[in-house]
Amino acid sequence: MAEVITITSGKGGVGKSTCTANIAVGLAQEGKKVVAVDFDIGLRNLDMILGLENRIVYDVVDVMEGRCNLKQALINDKKAKNLFFLPASQSKDKNILDKDKVKHLIEELKKDFDYILLDSPAGIESGFEHAIFWADRALVVVTPEVSSVRDSDRVIGIMDAKSDKAKNGQEVQKHIIINRIKPELVAKGEMLNTDDVLNILALPLIGLVPEDSRVVSATNTGEPVIYTNSPSAISYKNITQRILGKEVPFQNLEKKGFFQRLFK
Amino acid sequence: MSIFSKLFGNNKSASTAKNRLSLMLAHERSVNIPYMEDMQREILEVVKKYTKSSQVHIKTDSNQNINTLEVEVVLG
Repeated sequence: MAEVITITSGKGGVGKSTCTANIAVGLAQEGKKVVAVDFDIGLRNLDMILGLENRIVYDVVDVMEGRCNLKQALINDKKAKNLFFLPASQSKDKNILDKDKVKHLIEELKKDFDYILLDSPAGIESGFEHAIFWADRALVVVTPEVSSVRDSDRVIGIMDAKSDKAKNGQEVQKHIIINRIKPELVAKGEMLNTDDVLNILALPLIGLVPEDSRVVSATNTGEPVIYTNSPSAISYKNITQRILGKEVPFQNLEKKGFFQRLFK
Repeated sequence: MSIFSKLFGNNKSASTAKNRLSLMLAHERSVNIPYMEDMQREILEVVKKYTKSSQVHIKTDSNQNINTLEVEVVLG
């Protein structure tokens, strides 16, 4: 049974597309058939992160409007042969999406794939609703900053109100990914720690990702960071395992430095 | 520019990013004009009539509000 996972956030710029790309590659490396759909209509970005921008002919809106069939629009990843990608439209705006067409698309994808990852626009934009409506599971990406946590809280509320599952009395599984953690700031008490964020948002944790300069170079070259052995790559591999239902202990990214222990 | 990139050419990821972005944006900003070739030929004829130049470069560009046509005539 295919699972639809929506990757979302309250505000923009917290790393949704980076998370989507890396988790997609991670699941594909585990032998799962994965499709990553860029639902951020009008603001393509997932293509650049996956390094597939030159292969785009048709986009998700072309498929939904019947200008091409699904197979024509799906782009096979260069390295991960189990991974396919469906790009966002660059020229349309977000209001073009239609609930029934989105439903039809997702049903088509469910026939061929184990995991359907929807890279959603930030939470309060139109288009977000479409990405969340059919989700079985939502991963909320949050950075340990006041604005991000606040906006995430709002989005979690909207999610509960607007999903298909909620309408049928069920609940979308929701998890938190805390991204761009700076351990040295947390240790100094200058950045919200994991417990702070989780207590405020009151949702289960599925990933802790440290701030990692390798992510920048990975996006520059279009090769997701999960292919390297950098700290954030390990985090994304762990998230992948947890999505597959395995219990993986969380890394401690908040180690106290020698001086903090001395002068606490 | 560090001494290394001076010596070995710039093969850092930032330059890869710059190239990918330039390609992408040039593609996204170009405007599709169906009569482009005919127009270019006619402009070239006019330029040839008045000057000794035979080099005309034409480029389209677009931002959200305005589409432009850039005509560069190289005067010998």
